[in-house]
Amino acid sequence: MANPVLKPVAGILVLGALFALPRFVDSPYALHMMILLFMSISQGQSWNILGGYAGQHSVGHAAYFGVGAYTTMMLMHAQQVAPWLGAWAGVGMVAVVALAIGSICFRLRGPYFVLASIAVAEILRLSAINLTGLTNGAEGILATDLPPFKIGATVITDFSTKVPFYHAGLALALATITITYGVQHSKLGYFLQAIREDQDAAHSLGIPISRYKNIALVLSAALTSLAGSFYGVYVGFVDPPTVLGLDVSVQIMLICIIGGMGTLWGPVLGSLVLVPLSEALRSNLITEALVKAGVVNADSRTGLFLKENLSHAHVLLYGVLVVLVILFMPDGLMGFFRKLASRRQREAV
Amino acid sequence: MAILEIHKISKFFGGLAANSDVSFSVEQGAIMGLIGPNGAGKTTLFNCITGYYPPSRGDILFDGQRMNGLEPDKVCMLGMVRTWQKVRPLPKLSVVDNVMVGALARTSSLKTARALAMEQLKVVRLEHRAGFLAGGLPIGERKKLEVARALATQPKLLLLDEVMGGLNPAESEEIIQLILDIKARGLTQMVIEHDMKAIMRISDRIVVLTSGEKLMEGPPQEVVSNPEVISAYLGESHA
Repeated sequence: MANPVLKPVAGILVLGALFALPRFVDSPYALHMMILLFMSISQGQSWNILGGYAGQHSVGHAAYFGVGAYTTMMLMHAQQVAPWLGAWAGVGMVAVVALAIGSICFRLRGPYFVLASIAVAEILRLSAINLTGLTNGAEGILATDLPPFKIGATVITDFSTKVPFYHAGLALALATITITYGVQHSKLGYFLQAIREDQDAAHSLGIPISRYKNIALVLSAALTSLAGSFYGVYVGFVDPPTVLGLDVSVQIMLICIIGGMGTLWGPVLGSLVLVPLSEALRSNLITEALVKAGVVNADSRTGLFLKENLSHAHVLLYGVLVVLVILFMPDGLMGFFRKLASRRQREAV
Repeated sequence: MAILEIHKISKFFGGLAANSDVSFSVEQGAIMGLIGPNGAGKTTLFNCITGYYPPSRGDILFDGQRMNGLEPDKVCMLGMVRTWQKVRPLPKLSVVDNVMVGALARTSSLKTARALAMEQLKVVRLEHRAGFLAGGLPIGERKKLEVARALATQPKLLLLDEVMGGLNPAESEEIIQLILDIKARGLTQMVIEHDMKAIMRISDRIVVLTSGEKLMEGPPQEVVSNPEVISAYLGESHA
């Protein structure tokens, strides 16, 4: 991409193609996969600002995802507040939670923030289960009746298909990528990276450490909250394990670890790996493929075992994946590709 | 006129006095050398002055303002910046980005910061390394990077903690020239150094610390001929 014109042109073409895709693809399943991909990218980019750029590894982003999702869904269910308005209430709630955590934990050094982030997410999950009057407890909140989205008197969409969700997801993913780009190319990005690389050195260079960590946390949490609201409204249902569970936090981190932390495109690459993988595991695609290829007999003991268990094995496989990435690609896929590129360059010279 | 006044600074770690009742002042535009055997409390004093530890007792006045208990970032914004004995580059950032972090203390524009950073890299003769990752530099260049990054914050007082430690004679000579260049531009400096020849050449005055206390203070010639200083460094029998 040496040509300076080529890059923006290619970017606009890809964007146009993504925007127009629902016109050519009818399959709701394909659109569903794309929507999940957009949501994953948004989650990853949000975590990346705090974990990748500022180096503060939150293992509790489910807290922000879940509070955003719950706030929007509760407002929609109980007060008929349109989700595109309720989502901002979610952002407000999440900002308060994030500031409370940050102002306490960022004074301390070492693993305290990581530990506190897990603890807060678990407290919120347990609260959601037990505060049945507010959250409907373990049964969750079902709210599928979306009001039509209007600008003035014109109805833009009534959400009868997946297409409006596709465009909303695409917009959210693009927004998070744009915001990350903006962070990277600003004083904020430089300060966050300096804090990640060496906190004492950063402090001596005039950077108010706690303030900048809190800025990163609130920004990251607010964007995660939007992704949570989007998820809740898209699925039409939230309950404690699916939006506040520890595995939600882990999945959000994994997007960045696999793709490459602290890089603009890492979360996109990570999502391109994780979303298809988790879908293949969940829907037993792998077992079916093995059966089709004749590797295992569907009715044999192995076949039945795989069919029964492989769909629950995603956590195990994530574990294996993390070990492999840390061993062989410590900087994620982005780091791996960069290394390849620089090697090729050296060989060319 | 004194830009920095240290009044009876003491720092205790539990029962151990790392500094006790240290007083001196640094004149505007001068180079103050700070010497003493290992464990004399030189770096602790730097840490107190730059806000990493609050002093247990005593006052620090910088430019007429009381600095006790200010956080390091505030200290830097007021015009005092330090380098680190054990260098602290931001390893995954490029050399110029490292210096830009310093420059961004005074500006929000990346363009201005980049220009300022390149200027400082020229001062320390590191501009040919601008695009390299800071983590990959050899020690001599990392020391220069520390100085460039500190200068980029546009300080009034620069505190250098053993910038020549671990360098070969040619590299040390470069740093000595650099320190003298910085002085010629009117910047006040306080320098911790073990190399006696170097500290003699650059310092206008020298403070000697032993076991946390100020042993003496004076011009370089006076300090090296003082029998107490010689015995602190070499033992009683040489005095």
